[in-house]
Amino acid sequence: MERVDIAIIGSGPAGVSAAITARLRGKSLLLFGSKELSEKIGKAHTIQNYPGLPAVSGEDLRAAFQNHLDTMGIQVTEARVNAVYAMGDYFAVQTANETYEATAVILATGVVQGKPLPGEEEFLGRGVSYCATCDAPLYRGKAVAVIGSSPAAEPEAAYMAEVAGSVLYLPLYDGAPDLPATVQVLREKPTAVTGEVTVTTLHTDGGEYPVDGVFLLRDAMAPTQLVPGLEGKGGHVAVNARMETNLPGCFACGDAVGLPYQYVKAAGEGNVAALSAVEYLAARKRNTKE
Amino acid sequence: MVHEVHKNDLTQALAADVAVLDFNATWCNPCKMLAPVLESASQDLEGKALFYGIDVDENLALAQQFGISSIPALVVLKKGQPVARQVGFMPKPTLMQWLNGVL
Repeated sequence: MERVDIAIIGSGPAGVSAAITARLRGKSLLLFGSKELSEKIGKAHTIQNYPGLPAVSGEDLRAAFQNHLDTMGIQVTEARVNAVYAMGDYFAVQTANETYEATAVILATGVVQGKPLPGEEEFLGRGVSYCATCDAPLYRGKAVAVIGSSPAAEPEAAYMAEVAGSVLYLPLYDGAPDLPATVQVLREKPTAVTGEVTVTTLHTDGGEYPVDGVFLLRDAMAPTQLVPGLEGKGGHVAVNARMETNLPGCFACGDAVGLPYQYVKAAGEGNVAALSAVEYLAARKRNTKE
Repeated sequence: MVHEVHKNDLTQALAADVAVLDFNATWCNPCKMLAPVLESASQDLEGKALFYGIDVDENLALAQQFGISSIPALVVLKKGQPVARQVGFMPKPTLMQWLNGVL
């Protein structure tokens, strides 16, 4: 697959802004996100401080972003990015079905609501996993619990059921999950993961369940989980004023890098991140020529 | 270089002063991404540590023995004793920092 100059992860105001600037600078890019661009914007009632667009509704702002992307010929790649790997001279961006390559990456993933489950971080890699399709074969014949934050988690739970001895599925959403009969659906709220060397128990508001593994399948991953080796700071990505992270070639902007959570701030930072990425690309080109 | 372990035979690694075990599998994407990083690290640390790649499907007994529940997993052995472990992909600078801290 052809390597693009910049991969932008997230299609909210920060990601859209970064994509527009990157395209204006003539860079090839991939913009990963959703058809709706940003669920959050669409739901916003009115935005009062976006220059030039007084009292714009969230839906109108979203439509204006879409229109801007359309006129510049920027398409959104609709895929959930599972991981971004810093390979040294490029980044590998992994989605469920494909691995893309980019020389620079801009993280505009927004902010993940909610705190980790007690025990989640402690047992990560020792029974707690974020990827059922990655680790399922290690749980052959064992008891696992899958916690899904949306119906998007169901195929992974179904795959798990083919491999594991038993699967408990805890949907954190309404509606009946579409799962094989071998999966036991539990309408309880997970409260903690405990164990000794590895996970032994999932605790919920309804009881305790002996399990060997707990899979947490969330729609949005914290950027520091998305990009191994990325430095965080107080629940956000650590960046400098140029929107540079600790990983060379990886930039971050918008809500992902911290307060205030404002559309205009996100758009401004997206612009800075794109310009810094353009500079990074130019510096790399100079270095390879020398 | 990274030596491949076959038939659960870890004799060489256990006898080494320092060995780095990489538990992986062919179906594991982060493992595939970590492989070239580890290869490069093994060259940088030549003479200081020996590197071993362990496919968990082929060497299930070893994976169980080391309690591997998530891959890629790296386990550092000193004279046959596990002294540190780390799960998941790491960029080269992070990996080197961790290894240099352990070795």
